[in-house]
Amino acid sequence: MPLLVKARSFLRNLFLSRRVEVDLDQEVHAHLEMLTEENIRAGMPPEEARRAARIELGGIEQVKEQVREERLGNWLHSVLSDCRYGLRQLRKNPGTTAVMIFTLALAIGATTAIFSVVYGVLLRPLPYPESDRIMAVFEVTSKGRWSRLADPNFDDFRDQNRSFQAIAKYNGNIASVSGPSQPTRTTVAGVSPDFLKVFGIQPILGRDFSASDAKKGAGPTVLVSYGYWRQYLGSPQDLSQSHLKIDGAVFSIIGVLPAGFRFPADVDVWLPTDLDGENPSRTSHNYSAVGRLRGGVTVEQANRDISAIARRIHDTSSEQGDYLLKNGIVVPLQDSITGKARPALLVLLGAVGFLLLVACANVANLLLAQASARERELAIRLALGAARGRLIRQFLTEAFLLSLVGGGLGVLGAFWGVAGLVGLAPQNLPRLDSVSISIPVLVFAFLLSTAVAAGLGAFTAARATSGDLRKGLVEGGRGQAGSQGSQRVGRVIVATQLAITLVLVVGAGLLGRSLLKVLEVNPGFRVDKIVTMDVALPWVDDPKAKARQAIFFSNLIDRLKQIPGVRKVGATSGLPMVEGGLPDGMFLLMTQNEIPKTMDGFGALLQQKERIGNADFGVATDGYFQVLGIPLIRGRIFDERDGADSPHVAVISESLARDRWPNQDPIGHTIEFGNMDGDLRLLTIVGIVGDIHEYGLDVPPRPTVYVNLFQRPRAAITLTMLNDADTRLVTSAARAILEDLNPEIPARFRTFSQVYSASLGSRRFNVILIGFFGIVALLLATAGVFGVMAYSVSRRTREIGVRVALGAGSGDVLRMILSQGLRTIFIGVAIGIAGSLALTRTIESLLFGVTATDPLTFGGVTLLLVGAALLACFIPARRATQVDPMVALRCE
Amino acid sequence: MSPEQTNLLQGTLDLLILKSLIAGEMHGLGASRRIQQITGGTFLVKPGSLFPALHRMEEEGWISSFWGDSENNRRAKYYRLTKAGRRQLEVETKRWGRITWAIAQALDAS
Repeated sequence: MPLLVKARSFLRNLFLSRRVEVDLDQEVHAHLEMLTEENIRAGMPPEEARRAARIELGGIEQVKEQVREERLGNWLHSVLSDCRYGLRQLRKNPGTTAVMIFTLALAIGATTAIFSVVYGVLLRPLPYPESDRIMAVFEVTSKGRWSRLADPNFDDFRDQNRSFQAIAKYNGNIASVSGPSQPTRTTVAGVSPDFLKVFGIQPILGRDFSASDAKKGAGPTVLVSYGYWRQYLGSPQDLSQSHLKIDGAVFSIIGVLPAGFRFPADVDVWLPTDLDGENPSRTSHNYSAVGRLRGGVTVEQANRDISAIARRIHDTSSEQGDYLLKNGIVVPLQDSITGKARPALLVLLGAVGFLLLVACANVANLLLAQASARERELAIRLALGAARGRLIRQFLTEAFLLSLVGGGLGVLGAFWGVAGLVGLAPQNLPRLDSVSISIPVLVFAFLLSTAVAAGLGAFTAARATSGDLRKGLVEGGRGQAGSQGSQRVGRVIVATQLAITLVLVVGAGLLGRSLLKVLEVNPGFRVDKIVTMDVALPWVDDPKAKARQAIFFSNLIDRLKQIPGVRKVGATSGLPMVEGGLPDGMFLLMTQNEIPKTMDGFGALLQQKERIGNADFGVATDGYFQVLGIPLIRGRIFDERDGADSPHVAVISESLARDRWPNQDPIGHTIEFGNMDGDLRLLTIVGIVGDIHEYGLDVPPRPTVYVNLFQRPRAAITLTMLNDADTRLVTSAARAILEDLNPEIPARFRTFSQVYSASLGSRRFNVILIGFFGIVALLLATAGVFGVMAYSVSRRTREIGVRVALGAGSGDVLRMILSQGLRTIFIGVAIGIAGSLALTRTIESLLFGVTATDPLTFGGVTLLLVGAALLACFIPARRATQVDPMVALRCE
Repeated sequence: MSPEQTNLLQGTLDLLILKSLIAGEMHGLGASRRIQQITGGTFLVKPGSLFPALHRMEEEGWISSFWGDSENNRRAKYYRLTKAGRRQLEVETKRWGRITWAIAQALDAS
């Protein structure tokens, strides 16, 4: 019960303070009146009686104040009054306050925006139940690379492991899918039966795959995404009549997955794998794998488990070689999705953290200048008996007001900033759709603002209340209050600021130079004026059907050539700079006579090191090389001689020729590369073409074997059209031609320059952001130097006046002020260079063509920073030389 | 005055106010005069101590207040003991008894 009474009193004191006050006032007044009456009754004259009563009471306001101090919630009242006082202080210097709030808002906003990306991509749990138990499983090759799984290896992992409650394999590819509507290019995933169990989800409608759906010869069934079900199927509740045509085959829709479930990325249709049976090879890496850990099993245990199985396969398999797994590895799915993005994002977070520090340093400096202007006020308050704690609280309150207002504005700005970031972010940044200002991000922003406030408040409070403040009264009389001490601290802050800025700008400089170096790389192909067209025919196995597809593409190319403005047309199985790239594999050098009769024979040949080569496998037409301007080095590219029935030919890249046939002419040699497309006919090398950077400008060219599309047909290709005409005209003409040839086949059009510039997206993203942070930090640091110097000059006006009066020339004054500034700048820069040398190593993996200690960048940035800082010193120094001794001496 | 003395006096003040109110509801001046009377004039409670104590004890829930008319038909704020206040008075009385007994023991010892 007493607790209730207390709570009521507390609330009343807080919210009905007016009534409480009026009540108290009346009570005290009534008391006074009663005392007076008492005195009158005792025989005093009224005037005397009133006076005696007042004396006994001891001052109405004092009594009231004593009561107030006893009240519940008094502390809150004093906090509020601190706030009021703080607000008044901040309003007194609206310019400085605006600058401080803007600086904090910018820094907190930028940090919040970057954090929201880091959180959304790296930290936010995947949207599945107990998603931390979902793992990705890889094979590890003898070279240490992680690769996808071969069917028999997956089966062994699945059957022999003791770590996973469910494990599934999946792949994804583009297919032409039509339901009741137009055919669309849709991402289709093949998944093994336990796929949904791994993710812990259920269809919201219909059923999951059963074991019998996955058996060879089972009726074809699919699951569809929620989005596909709504957009293309019209959300039917009854699925029994729903069918999809995928690459010409009809599938029954058996279930709809929950909204938001799109794994692997962008998939709309899932179908069972291996309806045609498994691939028995242990070196055909066709599937990715995911598994859900059993309860209580750690990632390490799962790793040991899978690794043991993998090594057992390695030791017992007959298919030895570079492509046979050597080991297996288990990593959390989230890490495997976002792992590549992690270093760059963490660097961004670090960079924005540095910007925040620089901004805080600026604000601290401004607060310090204000505090030293207030030294007299503080000294008076102390002298009048204010507790030091109370003054500290006052400073903390002011810092909190600043930071929370700044933080609030910053978060508002961050909403806009995140939209900008998402727009700017490279397309290959995973999980971009989960980036937003979410609750955890807001909590982060709040904690950040609080930390900033605590830091700034503690700093200014410690500075302002340290030392003997009573001296402030004395010194203040001469207008020199605390100048020495606080200016030294100001210089330390500025030096720190310069050091941090230097690190940031060096980082930006290194990344910027890397970008320039990357752009200098000759990609090995032309980029402009090329329209690309992705077309996927249904996948077929039958050689005759394949030949028909080759004829279809041949017709398509001939028709496309007739579009006005189109100069050349080519086709390829994989454009450079496109995610995924070409498949790679092992080929064998052999002649017609050496072709073994059995698979075991191939196994034996694979043991002969001198016969083996590794290369990417590309399918192309002669036009492809012409359109992309890939130069012919020697020999010839494909031509009319290379029909489907003539001997199959290949063109190889320069680096492959050099590495595999050193001091020899590869032209005329024959190779066996049938493991890539199942065609065992030998390929005769007829030409050598230039290398291209197919995986990005910053990745060295890979050795590549190109085969002729018309001899080795392929269902999914990208057509390339070199044109002088308007892209849109070409696109619509090409679309019309395709529809005329086969209305069932959807296509995707892009320009090659879009594809190309997307490949530079992440590098550009980093440079833009860190460059922006660097510029802002540079401006802030310059402003910091300027502020401290200007303040110092204004504080030393009288001293300078005396010096001038005693005969110092303007050169002497200039030198004196500049040398004071220079010392600060050099200390800051020296620390900054040391810090950069230590820290740039962390971005080494993001650099290209420059070392982490690139002298040119270090030198240039140092010059830039020293120059900017000197300029910031020079203006106040100039002002100092213009001090008129008479005015200076009189003004105080 | 050192803080220890203040605390001791505050405890005493609470006890005296509670005791003065046991006779019935009373306004501040009345309580003050009553204390003066029952302590034989030893304690003169000034408003500067009285009102903070009254308000604090009201917030503790030991006494409650209401506006009423004084003997001279003047509006005054009256205080009365609550149940919790009566219990508190017992507690304080016992505590005070222990203290005086202890002090007496100490003084008796030679």
